[in-house]
Amino acid sequence: MRDVRRIGTGAAALGLALAVWELAALAIGDSVTLPTVTETVHTLAKYLTHTYPEVQGKTLVEDALISTGRIVAGFVLGTAAGLVLGAAMAGIRIVRELADPLIGVLRPLPPIAFIPLLVVWFGIGETSKIALIFFGVLPIVTIATLGALDAVPDGLLHASRSLGASPLRTMVHVRLRAAVPGVITGMRIAMGGAWTSIIAAEMIAATGGVGFLILQAGNYLQTPLIFAGIAWIAVLGLLFDGLLRLLLRFADPTVRR
Amino acid sequence: MSTLTVARPTGVRLRDVRKTFHRRRRAGRPALDGVSLDVAPGEFLCLLGPSGCGKSTLLNILAGFVPADSGEVVVGDRPVTGPGHDRGVLFQTPMLFPWLTTWQNVLYGPKARGALTPEVRAEAEALLATVGLADARDAYPHELSGGMRHRAAFARVLINRPGVLLMDEPFGALDAITRAAMQRFLLDLWQQRRTTIVFVTHDVEEAALLGDRVCVLSAPPGGTKDVLTVDLPRPRSYDDTETLAFVQAKRRIREVLEG
Repeated sequence: MRDVRRIGTGAAALGLALAVWELAALAIGDSVTLPTVTETVHTLAKYLTHTYPEVQGKTLVEDALISTGRIVAGFVLGTAAGLVLGAAMAGIRIVRELADPLIGVLRPLPPIAFIPLLVVWFGIGETSKIALIFFGVLPIVTIATLGALDAVPDGLLHASRSLGASPLRTMVHVRLRAAVPGVITGMRIAMGGAWTSIIAAEMIAATGGVGFLILQAGNYLQTPLIFAGIAWIAVLGLLFDGLLRLLLRFADPTVRR
Repeated sequence: MSTLTVARPTGVRLRDVRKTFHRRRRAGRPALDGVSLDVAPGEFLCLLGPSGCGKSTLLNILAGFVPADSGEVVVGDRPVTGPGHDRGVLFQTPMLFPWLTTWQNVLYGPKARGALTPEVRAEAEALLATVGLADARDAYPHELSGGMRHRAAFARVLINRPGVLLMDEPFGALDAITRAAMQRFLLDLWQQRRTTIVFVTHDVEEAALLGDRVCVLSAPPGGTKDVLTVDLPRPRSYDDTETLAFVQAKRRIREVLEG
């Protein structure tokens, strides 16, 4: 019952925001400044199958797949590297002492500051985009992994050992297992940053992707299409966060309600 | 309970056990300064002392979590070299694995040792009934109350049939009512099973109620100050705390503690 009410309230809030938008757009009456919701939806639907620009352009679906592909590639690589680095830092003192200052310097830097550098190094192809996501995701997942492993109470490890589990089994089934929810939370934060980075990178140096599409639409004052592109990002962002939340629910019984 | 096989209780023997902590704390802070103690098989021994007297350190040495610097530590007839399932440990907090259900927590030990047989499963069922958690079998720890978590931790340890139970202020974090219920539960359990128990506490009343003997440790660095016999009749119950004999036993313990 409470779930139904919560979803209802959420839907009502979204509906209200759309209604305000629609009314504001009707009051302004200029679709270049603010298109109506209906016009945005029509544009979104149209460019799902039509290309933009019409010559040598791509459909919204193609652009979304391009952006998603870059995100997934960079995210998977960055997460894998972050897991390994974080675990190594948690387990090996010298690795921690070596990597700590590097991560400390790298973390507060906005990944988009590296876009020009990555373009110089890797060109405007896929490599520079994937590298950007990679370097954005890596420090966040590393710190989340390290923090989660450090936070595992000694008592859980002691309990496991005194119940007869071997050191290796305790490592895998208790220490690593207990850290999983913290790592997934780190992945969710990293995923948010990854979308910021990729859209920025596609606006600066790319020939495809949702960011590229939005920039093109802006250059030709196609405001409905800008909104359509933004809506697409929202949908994709929600989808990916939803997947990670699902993973978290699966890994951590305390978040299930 | 009669359907369950009870492990043979084992004795504990400590001779001149010393331990000094070097790292983190002040340099060379001695925690244990030559503790000698014998616990008979089936005996309920309480380790009592002020905070920081090293009673938890002593228990951790018995459990095999930290090594002693010197001295002899023997449980049963084997010297302690590391943690093992022959010694069941109950911590200040229940330390259940939060991602496992009650049932999976109880079976963790046998599963980890590759000893999960249909007989063990049947015993786990019986144990859950004994600790009153038959209905909470598929609940996760965060869904249990504080007392239920402690009882689940009991079941998780008892399935291993340990010869000795090591308990480190296990009820210290509970509210007074739940705590009394857990003490009653422990008295019943011990009455039925007669496992050797080494029970760390800083509560004089708890020590007098539960223990056959009370070993009073001195202020840091901890050494055995005195070992007192609590000759109150068994089986004991919570009502005994109101008798004159109980009050006298408490006073004797307090005199040693403060003297």
